[in-house]
Amino acid sequence: MLKYSLRRILGMIPMLILISIVVFTLAKLMPGDALSGEIDPTNTNPEYIENMREKLGYNDPYYKQYIRWITDFAQGDFGKSVRYKTKVSSIIAEKLPNTIFLGVASLVITYILAFIMGIYAGRKPYTLGDHAIGGFNYFGLAIPSFVAGVFAIYLFSFKLGWFPSNGSVDIMVQEGTLEYWLSRIHHVILPALVLGMLSTASYTQFLRNDIIENSRKDFVRTAKAKGTSQSKIYNVHILRNSIIPLVTFLGFDIVSIIGGAVITETIFTYPGIGQLFLTSVQARDYSVLMAITMMFSCLVLVGNLVADILYGIVDPRIRLE
Amino acid sequence: MNAVERTEVKQPRTNASPWAIARRKFLKNKLAMTSSAFLLIVIILSFLAPYITTVDISRVNVGYSGLPPSSENWLGTDTSGRDVFTRLLYGGRVSLTVGMSVTAIVIFIGTLIGSVAGYFGGFVDSVLMRFTDFILNFPFLIFVIVLNAILFNKVSGVWVLIATISVLSWGGIARIVRSKILAEKENEYILAAQSIGTPASKIIVKHLLPNVLSVIIVQATLTFAGMIIAEAGLSFLGFGVPQEVPSWGNMLSSANKSDVLQNKPWIWMPPATIITITILSINFIGEGLKDAFNPRSFK
Repeated sequence: MLKYSLRRILGMIPMLILISIVVFTLAKLMPGDALSGEIDPTNTNPEYIENMREKLGYNDPYYKQYIRWITDFAQGDFGKSVRYKTKVSSIIAEKLPNTIFLGVASLVITYILAFIMGIYAGRKPYTLGDHAIGGFNYFGLAIPSFVAGVFAIYLFSFKLGWFPSNGSVDIMVQEGTLEYWLSRIHHVILPALVLGMLSTASYTQFLRNDIIENSRKDFVRTAKAKGTSQSKIYNVHILRNSIIPLVTFLGFDIVSIIGGAVITETIFTYPGIGQLFLTSVQARDYSVLMAITMMFSCLVLVGNLVADILYGIVDPRIRLE
Repeated sequence: MNAVERTEVKQPRTNASPWAIARRKFLKNKLAMTSSAFLLIVIILSFLAPYITTVDISRVNVGYSGLPPSSENWLGTDTSGRDVFTRLLYGGRVSLTVGMSVTAIVIFIGTLIGSVAGYFGGFVDSVLMRFTDFILNFPFLIFVIVLNAILFNKVSGVWVLIATISVLSWGGIARIVRSKILAEKENEYILAAQSIGTPASKIIVKHLLPNVLSVIIVQATLTFAGMIIAEAGLSFLGFGVPQEVPSWGNMLSSANKSDVLQNKPWIWMPPATIITITILSINFIGEGLKDAFNPRSFK
């Protein structure tokens, strides 16, 4: 297992280098100074720009610039934001906890909902309840998150008034108190639901099909023959076997949360990395943009790696390949 | 003569070709057929839009802005005074064109790379598959937006969007086609074709691809749905087709204004609904096709 994981991690390194080269090239193609954000875009004096370029080493050969950029990046120095006049790393550090909170909340909601629905549908397949859950899943897989988000705000925020439609916390509450956390949870529920809708549907569908398939296996018949109660068979014998493959979804969840965060955070004006990304495009704050692009690319790589390794843990045959 | 014909009809058609079996199964699938009919209607209405309505879509009429649905404007007017129903038809044209074009390109690239990698194997396979992995490792949305920021003010338009989405989305198809070709090429008839000196290109096109076509068709359906979502999502965020071109995503982006979202649901609800139903029906068609092509399912 260790050998397999190490091999996967080593295999990731060339990919990481390739992707960083692509991001660097894109940054160079961007107008202005996308890598460091040091050059003031409002100052159009050619002499000033030339001086700054010389000082920042933009007249060096590209490979030197690349090496300098990637070393800085690896050390957590992402340059300066033109818009906020401060370090990109500190802006990201300010927004990142919100996105992590949203992602974790969405995973928790996904797991809870998918387990309840999947176990129910798997235990009573082809009944009314199963069909209802199946119908919900079809919608969950078909409705794009931005449509679901818009409908959710309209219904739950504006018509019913159950949840706030924007922000991550009430401005009035004091940080650190119980109220503060309750308000944060209150703000995160709706975006987290929308963000996790697709995974909820696929988890439920997977769990249901796996439970039905497992319930026909020999070990279930043996358990039944020995007089084990129905609920124990389902909750212990079958569920244990059906949960294992679900673990591998976690890697893909990381990937889908990254893409989903951009859309969901924008709809709910939730101050996270995804929203920062979009507002940076609009404000032409390219150094922030490239830092987030590089960060997200690394995260996707890590997500795929996690999926690969979890596959190896669950299915030993993959390790031998 | 008559009697012979009658007995032939009564016999179970056990010798029907796989395609005939699949077609019969698909025609019997009510959900898939309803979805196909709906999709066909949406496509026809969208592409015949200039003949159906005579309202000028680019006309901005502030005096008529934000009107609720009435007999004159079936679905009301948007904030610039344009008729929502007309824009919905024209928007469908753009959204479906983007979806279909991207699907065609993605299927072409994916099938090409997947079949070449799968058939030749070895070094060619590892190079092409590493490249595919590389493409699959890009966060799609992020890179489309970054590319959009680079191309800002230089080139813009529907075709740029189609090209950008296509370049980033063929990875999955290539992987699936490759794995199918890998399994299919082990058959004896491929060995027979090779032994009589059939060129590789002919083996792939004439012998292998027809046998993996069912998988490609199902994937194409699902890709089509995915690409409509991609276009709408990007346009919703303001990075898809240019703002002045109506598309379902562009129309939905008016819901970003809280006043429209809260008080003028007729502006954003029609595109939201039509996107959802279109995606749903494409998914049902895909499921129906998958089922029809599956020799193990009997219905």
